[in-house]
Amino acid sequence: MLPRKHDLFFYPCDQCHESMEPNPDIRPLNAMHDSTLEHGRGRIWCLSCHDLENRNYLKTLLDELVDIDEAYLVCGGCHANRQKDWVFGAHGKRIANWQGDRTLYNCTHCHDPHSPAIKARAPQPAPPVRAGLELKHGIDHEKTAIWESQEEHDEQ
Amino acid sequence: MNHDGGKFDEARRRFLRGLGMATATAAAQPAWGGETFQDAFADFFQKDYRRMSTEEINAALERIERKAKSRYEVEIDCQNTPPQPGVVYGYAINISRCKGYRDCVHACVKENNLGRDSQMQYIRVLQLDQGDFNLEHSDHYYEPETVPVEGKHYLPIQCMQCDDPPCVKACPVEATWMEPDGIVVVDYDWCIGCRYCMAACPYWARHFNWTVPEIPAEEMNTNTHYLGNRPRPRGVVEKCHFCIHRTRKGQQPACMEACPTGSRIFGNLLDPDSEIRYVLANKQVFRLKEDLGTEPKFWYFSD
Repeated sequence: MLPRKHDLFFYPCDQCHESMEPNPDIRPLNAMHDSTLEHGRGRIWCLSCHDLENRNYLKTLLDELVDIDEAYLVCGGCHANRQKDWVFGAHGKRIANWQGDRTLYNCTHCHDPHSPAIKARAPQPAPPVRAGLELKHGIDHEKTAIWESQEEHDEQ
Repeated sequence: MNHDGGKFDEARRRFLRGLGMATATAAAQPAWGGETFQDAFADFFQKDYRRMSTEEINAALERIERKAKSRYEVEIDCQNTPPQPGVVYGYAINISRCKGYRDCVHACVKENNLGRDSQMQYIRVLQLDQGDFNLEHSDHYYEPETVPVEGKHYLPIQCMQCDDPPCVKACPVEATWMEPDGIVVVDYDWCIGCRYCMAACPYWARHFNWTVPEIPAEEMNTNTHYLGNRPRPRGVVEKCHFCIHRTRKGQQPACMEACPTGSRIFGNLLDPDSEIRYVLANKQVFRLKEDLGTEPKFWYFSD
């Protein structure tokens, strides 16, 4: 699995949180971290996945500490079916090879854990159209009688 | 001095090479870009890939490299990697995750040295209304600001590498066949360009090369295979070959590597522990136009 810590801007979290008093009250955050958590539709908050005492770690539903690089263990707590698919290769993405050692992207590589839905983006350019095959957008093939109209045209 | 001498000379050279009887002139000319009369002569009498001896194949590979050098000014490495024993390739696409980005299409164009101006692409990403599977209603020229579009779904199609390929049966000169690892390949030097195979293919997977591919030298992929992405001549039929030059060495096909969504799953159908076998065993899979009995090794599923 691909490590991810080095991609994280704030990691290690202890840099700041060591000198801060842990506050277990459920509240929206306003300093440093965005308070927009789009994950879980309001049913979870920071300390559902982050550990209160060991800020560098995540935690599972059973309060087991989990390294940031092994975030999939936390995700699997709720998304067990997805996690199973990911382990066996029906979800997620394998890197570079189909044969030999298997390296996978972690869940959090593709899904922002705080806003996991994949965002829409622009597609790559459309294929060019060959001469004589110009597009006729909006033809309803079931209602438009293309051949009949062509026949009428030929008869005239 | 004739200021048009160069052009005329080249035209004459091409003409004589075609006839295969330019002995006298070739002897008088320098080895132009390494492509010599002997190469043209040997090209003319080159056999079908499957009937060539190892030495003949190696000589053909060297000729291909020399020709690429003279045409594109690039040193390519043309290989002849054999199929791996005990491997049959299969592909599966998760259509609930495909977002229609077309990253696969453009990665394929680069990887397979497709002409940038020839309008040919091996992969088509079809856009369909949600719940609609009538391919007649599909549009692969969609160009919205962002994808996925609400109410649409995407269905990438390419060569399905059928296990009972109708294109192979249609070929009158046996220039196309199925390799032991299940990849349907084309010997571009043996193809006569009759395009019967294109008519026979129910998946629009075969494409005719109307022009000599134009590829900028710096974008040329130098890792090539005789049956795969080597520079092709004009007037032959081409198609997806599951990136034969990569997959036979254990790498992923370029489209799979490029897919940002991970919808594409590739692997060995004969290995019960492979990812593709997990998908086939645990997901609702279907194949396109299954009723035609062509047995594609290309599945679609959703979850």
